[in-house]
Amino acid sequence: MNDVVIIASKELREMFRDKRVRFNAFIMPMFLIVLIVQLFGFVMHAAMGATKATVYIVDTTGLAANALNKSELKNAAGKGGLGIQTVPSIEAGIKMIQSEKAKLVLALMPPTTDGQIRVEAYYDPKQQMGNLALAGMKQAIAEANKQNLIQTLAEKSIPASAAEHLKLVPKEVKVGGVGAGEMIVAILPYMIVLFAFSGGMSMAADLVAGEKDKNTLETLLITPVGRNQIVMGKFLALSGVCFLSSASCLAGMVLAAMLKTPGSQEMFKDGFGVTPIAAATIILMLIPLVAFFASILIAVSSYAKNPREAQTYLAIVNFIVIMPAIFSQVIGLTDLGSKLWINLVPVLNTANNIRAALLGKTDWTAVGITVVFSAVIAAIAIRIAVWLFNREQVLVRV
Amino acid sequence: MVRTHGLKKHFRDPKTGIKRAVDGIDIEAQPGRIFGLLGANGAGKTTVLRMLSTVILPTEGTAEVAGFDIHSQSQEVRASIGFMSNSTALYGRLTSREVLEYFGKLYGLNTSRLKERLSYVIEKLQIDEFADRLCDKLSTGQKQRVSIARTILHDPNVLFFDEPTAGLDVVASQTVMEFIEEARDLGKTVIFSTHIMSEVERLCDDLAVIHEGVIVARGTPKSMLEMTGEHSLERAFLQLVKFQAGYVSAREGTV
Repeated sequence: MNDVVIIASKELREMFRDKRVRFNAFIMPMFLIVLIVQLFGFVMHAAMGATKATVYIVDTTGLAANALNKSELKNAAGKGGLGIQTVPSIEAGIKMIQSEKAKLVLALMPPTTDGQIRVEAYYDPKQQMGNLALAGMKQAIAEANKQNLIQTLAEKSIPASAAEHLKLVPKEVKVGGVGAGEMIVAILPYMIVLFAFSGGMSMAADLVAGEKDKNTLETLLITPVGRNQIVMGKFLALSGVCFLSSASCLAGMVLAAMLKTPGSQEMFKDGFGVTPIAAATIILMLIPLVAFFASILIAVSSYAKNPREAQTYLAIVNFIVIMPAIFSQVIGLTDLGSKLWINLVPVLNTANNIRAALLGKTDWTAVGITVVFSAVIAAIAIRIAVWLFNREQVLVRV
Repeated sequence: MVRTHGLKKHFRDPKTGIKRAVDGIDIEAQPGRIFGLLGANGAGKTTVLRMLSTVILPTEGTAEVAGFDIHSQSQEVRASIGFMSNSTALYGRLTSREVLEYFGKLYGLNTSRLKERLSYVIEKLQIDEFADRLCDKLSTGQKQRVSIARTILHDPNVLFFDEPTAGLDVVASQTVMEFIEEARDLGKTVIFSTHIMSEVERLCDDLAVIHEGVIVARGTPKSMLEMTGEHSLERAFLQLVKFQAGYVSAREGTV
């Protein structure tokens, strides 16, 4: 055990002196999280603005009736948070959309014989901001129509409830404890899992393949220390880096929450939301995951002849490992997240449970299954890594 | 002492089938003497030393190193040997002192013994001025001195040198050769592999010429000259190697 610690300490000391490792494993995850939060915050802020955009009105008739309707519309738009400006013609409005000066242009058509006023809405369907402004306007008009109907019914002494025979009243049900924001829940599990693997990639290639290439491995093999202890020392050091790299994502999130930028304020308007229990759950699930990842990285590095070959293999393995993590970003769109068997899918199980923990909906049975299953596959992966490291033709091949 | 008995190492080659890197070698190296393994590149010298240092397992045969069997007592063998080659590298992001401390700990030296041995090798090899500099920043000669220090740090009884001067300048080579001579004078068993005849003439007390994995001649440098009737070791070596080529062909029945 002492030799394992000696080797792990030396590896860690070497790693921390390597700029590539410091940048890829620790600075990069923090920087990326802060950057992503700012970008998403900015986009969400802009999207919110689009629903309150200025709507341009074209009065095609100039009739007084339209003026009335326009003010009625203005009233409705005001309730939807939309501003209104007048445009002289439909052509002028279309030109404004084409030049991206306007997102939504409404043309008020003359009333029909039964008194209905058609409002033609011009927008660019490829532009998301236009779609958002249209959705905001639809909501405002629906509300105006409802109020109009209620008023008409009242004039005929019919109760307002007749205008809305079925009334939908949303009631929020509290499930679980305090949770993080929606975007954080979508991003963080993926990033934590991603950096648990890729954070260790920068140094994994050097650990065994690099030692073969630089001819330092043979010097190590000639010491009285057993090969199992050598590989376990390297595994321990790599696991530490993988874990710290993942933890850097959480640190990056804390850092982003502390910033007073518009992006951070938008993303954390309901608070940070990562509770101590969620953080502890994340750490608990990360331990077997980083052991699994570190074993894969060591096995690949042992098999490769040199660091370049190791990096080529690792790029492929990275893709395979990260696929389940990518799926974890959209698992919320399905009901798979609550299925028990999902806890037997490596990587995805951890990401899914981290997601649940961040939502404040930790399922301890699922966490237990995930931790045990991840520990079992980590043990198998460690065994394979040790076996490869002991294979003479793998270890001394050049 | 180092003694081998019919040591063989065969590698599986996907193109040529079985490659007989070492094919039944018997040598004996005595304490206080330098045993030279003389052979061209690819002759099997490094494979022999790798088997003796337990990095690779023999396909057949066995060996005792410092009284320990390479199969059943590999850990004891490794604790008793020092190994140095021209390709031995150091950890670039560690200082010379850190490298030496690391290996000292791996060789099981306790704190006081490690401190004592560190002081000795640092002074002996004049490492002090660059002991706290990263190995990446050292010159080739300085790196070689640190490598020597690492090799003798645990005071092994048996030392293996695999072409230790290849690629070194005259000054650095001189340091290595002086160190090998000193090890012999201290009663260590030294096995020295090379293909540089001047080094053989200067250092080796006993000699084995290895070619295509087999020993083609053994004795002292003087007996090699007498055996071949040549006046220089280089010519004697060439003659022996030619003899072996014929020997191998004859053995395989192609001549």
